[in-house]
Amino acid sequence: MPHLSKPTRFISSILMTIAFSTGAAQAQSLTVYTAGPGSLIKQLTTGFQEKTGIKVDVFQATTGKVMARLEAEAANPRADVLISASWDTAQDLDQRGWLAPHESANAAKVPAQFKSKDYVAQGISALGIIWNTQSGTPEPKDWKDLTTPAFKQKVTMPDPALSGASLDLLLGLQDAQHEGAWQLLEKLRDNGMSVSGPNAQALTPVLQGAKSAVFGGVDYVTYGSIAKGESVKVIFPSSGTAIAPRPMMILKSSKNLDAARKFIDYVLSDEGQRAVSDAWLMPARADIGAKRPLFKDIKVLPQAKDGSGAARSETLQRFNTLFAKP
Amino acid sequence: MKKIPIPAAVTLAALAVLVALPLSFVVLQAVFPHLGSGSLKDPFGAVARTFSASDTPALIGATLRTGLGVAFFCACLGVPLGALRALFRLPGAALWDLLFLVPFLLPPYIAALSWTLALQPKGYLYQLAGFDLGGLLFSQAGIVLVMGLSIFPVVYFAVSRSMASSGARLADVARVCGASAWAAFARVTLPLALPAIGASLLLAFTLTIEEYGVPAALGPQANLSLLTGAIERRLADWPIDPPGAALLSLILVALALTAYAVQRALVSGRNYETTTGKPAAQGRAELGAWRWPVLLLFALTALLAVALPLASMLCAALSRTVSGGIGLHNLSLANFRQIFSTGGEALDALAASLGLASGTALLAGGIGFLAAWCVAGKRMPGAAAIDALALLPAALPGVVVGVGLILAWNQPFWPATPYGSWIILLLSYTCLLLPYPVRYVSAALAQIGENLEAAARVHGATAAQALRRIALPLALPSLIAAMLMVFAVASRELVTSLLLAPAGIQTISIYVWRQFEQGSIGQGMAMASVAIAASLMLMLGGLTLQQRHANPSAQTRRSAPRINADAPQPTS
Repeated sequence: MPHLSKPTRFISSILMTIAFSTGAAQAQSLTVYTAGPGSLIKQLTTGFQEKTGIKVDVFQATTGKVMARLEAEAANPRADVLISASWDTAQDLDQRGWLAPHESANAAKVPAQFKSKDYVAQGISALGIIWNTQSGTPEPKDWKDLTTPAFKQKVTMPDPALSGASLDLLLGLQDAQHEGAWQLLEKLRDNGMSVSGPNAQALTPVLQGAKSAVFGGVDYVTYGSIAKGESVKVIFPSSGTAIAPRPMMILKSSKNLDAARKFIDYVLSDEGQRAVSDAWLMPARADIGAKRPLFKDIKVLPQAKDGSGAARSETLQRFNTLFAKP
Repeated sequence: MKKIPIPAAVTLAALAVLVALPLSFVVLQAVFPHLGSGSLKDPFGAVARTFSASDTPALIGATLRTGLGVAFFCACLGVPLGALRALFRLPGAALWDLLFLVPFLLPPYIAALSWTLALQPKGYLYQLAGFDLGGLLFSQAGIVLVMGLSIFPVVYFAVSRSMASSGARLADVARVCGASAWAAFARVTLPLALPAIGASLLLAFTLTIEEYGVPAALGPQANLSLLTGAIERRLADWPIDPPGAALLSLILVALALTAYAVQRALVSGRNYETTTGKPAAQGRAELGAWRWPVLLLFALTALLAVALPLASMLCAALSRTVSGGIGLHNLSLANFRQIFSTGGEALDALAASLGLASGTALLAGGIGFLAAWCVAGKRMPGAAAIDALALLPAALPGVVVGVGLILAWNQPFWPATPYGSWIILLLSYTCLLLPYPVRYVSAALAQIGENLEAAARVHGATAAQALRRIALPLALPSLIAAMLMVFAVASRELVTSLLLAPAGIQTISIYVWRQFEQGSIGQGMAMASVAIAASLMLMLGGLTLQQRHANPSAQTRRSAPRINADAPQPTS
């Protein structure tokens, strides 16, 4: 094509490159969709690649966004492994028959409550009161301390509609205290508690001091902040709190089942679990130490007996009514 | 039938893929709710559900209120400042122009996050002055103010250019014929500038309703939800509702297109290019005693629109801890060190953004140049379609393009798809930023006139040779300036990046956004500082280049940067 102009040739060459590279894009790499923290998955994938030579592509966002993407891509699935921050997303996907079974040899030391034949915990976080130590407020010991006048307009809570762990806490409190849980929430509302954003985001205003405490914040983000020198503290309430195991699962649609199994095995290996521990989570394996209190050391609310979808949406509905803006 | 020439055919094909395809899938999904499962059943099934949803009228109302609020704010701030700049000898005029360009470079979501750090309770303002403005910031008014401060320069530059070019000479005539200064302003200068004012206010309205970042950053705490956020949530937060997202997208596009069409009608037929070459006398009046109050007004505006958000951003970036507050004890470069440490994801994000922005600049530049050239010829078949498709993205909100690309390329029937690789980001950026090169090159080609190319053709050159040897070299400075602009905006685009970025790819904007989501404010702000410094240098380079080369008669308006009131302005 002697008379084709340079720009035309340039563009057609671009279009051709695009055509070729899309065909080859999904060749040999593992795709992992994960809820935060970003630094942990970075460390895990780097370690995994060093061990196995398999490259891992990561999509990291909040659990809600990860699940949305998974569903949007249902007709054309891309994820091989999913790591969520909410146990019931795994149960939900399992019921839908989306998961491929994998019982990792490395999962032997994972307590039975944190594994099933289709999914297994990566690590566990707990919810607590995140308190700014320089806020000039008295140190809270239990949830109800946040209803005192000292915390008027000073408390924030992650939105249970966006944070699975936060909803777990709600269900746990409701199961343990029945109407008492709702009276507590009502008092918190009357004390000016604000409800906003997914879990980690609720910490931001507390760091600068805009709020003094988070009601039911994830602990590992806070431990990370403390390590950086932020003046915040995690307090596990005396009346008990919820823990949030983070399920890992392999999707049935995966074309890299073998690599996906290797990845789960790696995360549950000594090295992988140490990385989990370094991210200030509790490791799923009971035989790996942590730099922070373990769930054995925390008063944990009994798991909600009725964790079904209907019960969850009913609780959420009631919460939304309680905190509906006039 | 006349054959469509190769360049026009290539351009049309590229525009069809880039612009028409995503938009048609938004329409298809809105009509056929079960499109995702490959079924066309239940047409219009989602319409009633979406429109009867309790929050839809509130969303539209809030979006319109915010858009009108920002337009009103811009009118109150941009029109007087622009008039003062155009009609009076203002000390440091070039400096003010330069300062008011900065809000274009500051991604609105970063400005919003900076304002959050500055104004929220116990924020920087409280630490320095003992009071906070959190109540104001997290409200409808706060969102309008933050967006208004980043958008008002559109009005400022349109008004100052229009009044300086057309108004001054005719107003002088009025003065000579005995009108008082106020009468000349009210009866000559202002009416002449009205179309430009109207058009720029409509542009401010359009930019506001398309903006995703600011409402996403401030909205939750203000309990305010706008259309852009609602669309993103319906597609990117579980449980998803693609038909709802598509329908709301159509509402948003309808609003934006209406405003855009009215704005185009206002300026059409009026030549705002000041490239006539006629020397305009600089008959600017003296400010006299008003000099200091006027300077104070300009300084205050620059402080609010530029200095404070930048200071707040740098403050967070240079702090060791957020809870440590302002103070020398808390000063640290740790956040920057962390970004530039090897193997970190920040460095990957920087590289990805820069690579994508370069690719976008080349692709948008190439297609934009061809489109402008095809249209400038006028007699080429398909020119009207090319013109419409190439300029349409100026009225398309980023979130809608993102939704359209997901809907289009996520269908199972494609043998190969760019979705899931970096190419989808390249497609979205190119689509959104195409109007830049089209406008810049069109303006340059309009100055060249057709006779040069005609002369080449008479002497035996093919159309392709004339394009390569005549049009391309002459339009090159404008093209390069446009490509630098595209690069700068593409390197920080937020909403389509969040929607489309595949596994394994993070851009600068995603990185900053995620750091905020995870509570690592300092690192997010350090990354934002690096990105802004880079785009500042690039955009200034682009402006300088275009001013120097495209306008040989530059001294007649040396201090007015060429911000075309028509040109799409960067949003996130």
